[in-house]
Order: sequence, then C-alpha cells, then structure tokens
Amino acid sequence: VVEIFSNPLVRMMFEVVLIFIKVVVVTLIVFSLPLPLTYMERKVAGHIQVRLGPYRVGPHGILQPLADMIKLFFKEDIIPAKADPWLFRIAPIISMVPVFAVFATIPFGEKVTLPIIDYDIDLYISDMNVGILYVLAVAGLSVYGIILGGWASNSKYALLGGLRSSAQMISYELALSFSCIGVVMIVNSLSLVDIVRSQYGGHWNIFYQPVGFIIFFIAGLAEINRIPFDLPEDEGTLGSGYHVEYSSMRFAFFMLTEYVAMVSMSILAVLLFFGGWDGPAFLPGIVWFILKVAAFIYFFMWTRFTFPRYRYDQLMSIGWKILLPLSLLNIFITGLVII
Amino acid sequence: MKEIMTNNSMNSNSRYSLKDYLKKIFFIDLLQGLFITFNYTFSKTVTLKYPDEEKWIPYQRFRGLHTLNRNKEGKELCVGCELCQKSCPTQCITVIPMEDKTGKGIADRIAYRWEINLLRCMFCGLCEDACPTEALKLGREYELASFSMQRQLRTKEELLRPQTIPDEIEGGFIARARLETDGKEVKVIPDLSVQKKWW
Repeated sequence: VVEIFSNPLVRMMFEVVLIFIKVVVVTLIVFSLPLPLTYMERKVAGHIQVRLGPYRVGPHGILQPLADMIKLFFKEDIIPAKADPWLFRIAPIISMVPVFAVFATIPFGEKVTLPIIDYDIDLYISDMNVGILYVLAVAGLSVYGIILGGWASNSKYALLGGLRSSAQMISYELALSFSCIGVVMIVNSLSLVDIVRSQYGGHWNIFYQPVGFIIFFIAGLAEINRIPFDLPEDEGTLGSGYHVEYSSMRFAFFMLTEYVAMVSMSILAVLLFFGGWDGPAFLPGIVWFILKVAAFIYFFMWTRFTFPRYRYDQLMSIGWKILLPLSLLNIFITGLVII
Repeated sequence: MKEIMTNNSMNSNSRYSLKDYLKKIFFIDLLQGLFITFNYTFSKTVTLKYPDEEKWIPYQRFRGLHTLNRNKEGKELCVGCELCQKSCPTQCITVIPMEDKTGKGIADRIAYRWEINLLRCMFCGLCEDACPTEALKLGREYELASFSMQRQLRTKEELLRPQTIPDEIEGGFIARARLETDGKEVKVIPDLSVQKKWW
C-alpha cells in the first residue's frame, strides 16, 4: 500500500477524493445539525420556563425533531397568488447557500495523521489566507435571501421584516467586522488557522480583547437575528416577519439557515476569542472545540429565553451610537498598545 | 414638541448616577436576569406527566363522580328518600325506592334504582348536602370521558363499588399512575404508595 501511495499520480487522486469526502462530510454534518439543535432549544426553553419541553415522542422526546421534520416535508407548499413565484422559490436557497459556504474555510482542529499511509489530513476544507474576511463577507450575503423572500411574498409583514433585516445587517456588520480587526491586528494574519495557532497555551484573545469580544458577541446576536435583536421576525408586531408566507420545506430552509448561522457564529467566536481547539491535553482538540461551540450555542439559547426584544430605534441607536464608536476605539487602543 | 422632547431626555439623563453607568457598562442587570433563568433551568418542573406516569390526587373536598357509601357492616346507607332527586337543580338524579326486608340497607327501604345522568350533572354538591344518611358523597374520581353517551348514565351498582381513592387519604399530592383503556373508557389508575408533592 505504501508503495502504491508513493506514486505522485495516486497521491494527487487521493487528495482530490479527500477534498470531496471532506465537503460531503461537512455538508452532511451541517445539514443534520438543526435536528439536535431544535430539540436542545425546546428543552432549554422548557426548563427555563419550568416546563419539561418535548417529552412524548420517544424517551424524553428525543425523536421530536424527526417528527417535526417529517411534518414539514409533508405539509402543503403554498405560494401566495400575488407573490413573485420565481423569487419566492429561490429566496430560501439564496439565504441557505452562503451559510453553508462559510464552512469551507472553518478549521475544526489540528492535522490528523492517517496511520498506514502516513498522510496528514487537515481538519478543514481549505485554509484561505483571507479566511476571516471570506467568512464575514459570505455570511453577510445570506441577508439577500431574507430581503428577497420578504419582497417576493407580496405581504406587508414580510416586506417589513426583510427591510428591518437589511437595515440591521448594515448597522451591525460594521461593528462585527471592526471588532474582528482587533484580533487580526494582534495575530497579524487573516487566516483562521493562524489565528487559532497564535492562541495556543491559553493565550486566548478574550484576555487581550475583552471589549472586542463583547462587541463581537452583541453584533453577532444581531447578525444571526437572535433575541434580543430578532426584529426581522418579531412575532409581536410582524407575525413572524420575512417568512410569514412560507410553509413546508421552504420554511424549513429558512429555519435551517438560522440554526446554521447560529452554529457558524458560535464557531467564529470560539476561533477568534476562545482559542479554537486549544485546551488542557486530557481531551483531544476536537472535543474541546465541540464543547466550546456547544457552550456558545447554549448561551445563545439561554439569552433568547431571558431577554425581551429591543425596540427598533433602540436597536439602531445601540448599533450606530455605541457599538460602532466603541469598536473603532477598540481598534485605536489596540493599535497604540501594539506600537 | 422638540423642546419638550429635549427637556425630557435631559431630565432622564441627569437622573443617571455613576452607579447606573457602571451597571450599564458591566451588564449587571442582564447578568442578574441570566442568573435567574439559569436557576430556573435546574429547578423542578411544574409539568405533570399525566396520564402516562403521574396523576394529581385531589383533596377530600373535591367534587367528582358520585359515590354511594356503605356503613361499617357493609349495609347500604341509602334509604331511597329521594331528597337528592328533589334537591338537584338540573334534575339529573332518578331514585326509585322499594321495600326491602332482607337487610341489604340500614332500614327497610332501599333504592331500587339510583341513577345519575352525568351529562346534565354540574357537580354542585347539593345532593350531598341534602342526603340525611350521608350515603351520597361526591368522590374524587374525575376521569369521566367515555366513548359512548350511554356510559354517562351511572347506576347504583357501579357507584356502590369501593372507590379507587379511599376516604382516609387526604389528597393534594401527585401519585404514580398508569394509563389503561378497555375500549369503553379511559382510566388512569393511581398507585398511591408512591407519592410526591407538587412543586
């Protein structure tokens, strides 16, 4: 086996196949993530509100997400008569593709060596030298799906939800990117792998960039439309905002987008500020990584069932009057300290 | 209008002290809120797993399905006086008395038929108050759903059976239970040996 593998042609073939395998595996994992996450979210919600959450489907309701998925598959797919049919169909996919594309550059751990052929596998699909820029840029594209979905529905609530989403995205994307710049200045690299490597040994960026982290976290909450910034799908005033006219699988795509965006935001927070897969050696790196990401996801859910929603003008004033100047100040002070 | 607004905002601004600003900067209020919900996450839940695992056992004062009691010797307390029938506001009780010398009852007059139409009954308890021999009591059985209307007509023979929850038990707790159905009605049978307090 080793001899065959030393042939450069075989090696190249192997690498190509490996990339395909990685893409398929990551996509499948990301696709199936919303199932446990919906269950987790409902359980967290239930226990915070002193209820039990789903309990009747399977032991402790563990099969509830499967039942929900089957229900969503078999529901009627309604397209409103006055909707723009082409945009209405394509909008969920436009919003879903970018959140998956983000995972192309996200690293999950250090190199793993295959035993027999002595080959190093990187636990990421690609290590771009502009990784974090790519992540922020592509994740921002997802809002187009929301705007188009809101527009194509030909409904006042959906349109208002889409508009709010775009305004919110513009205000908070700035603060989000600026808060990352502090980290980039410390590390001197945009590559996510380099950012994690620079934090090895407990030198996590959270200790050097606490303000940056807080801004990142708040802007991230707004970016993925979670409470207290979930104005695009404000139940109280907009029904359910941009996806009010959607049903069946198209609605499921929007939900999928939301959960995957939440996962990628948690992953990004862990990579940038909490040392990625760095941790005490008694657990492998990937386990630390998953634990940290899970803790962040739990925190997102926890805040969702603790805080009320901000008013729209409050949202705007927090974004423009507090977060943006604060993130600029953070960059300025970081620059001074580095010099 | 503009003046009023600026005045208001100035007033509200001037009310902020240094302590309030520090509270805002370190998210103290938000953290307190998070702490409260975190505590609730791990507290006992109020949800009853009824009817699969648990069942609420009501207090003695509960007015559920009627029971016709016997005395200590096992004789029927009902003497067929028809007072319950007369006191019933919805006229759902039918009593037909008869003479009986065999000693089934405590006197020589017992109820030949004693029927109650639960579809009309509003569980007011006036029949219970009217009963001179304390034969009639509204019990603690409350699962009255059935698959047929006929089942809602309960007769003396059934109401005389020993009750699922004995009178001595004070109630006001959750007992372990299991769900049983026989095609005619659904019953949740409690296991009174395993009890727990509700929340």
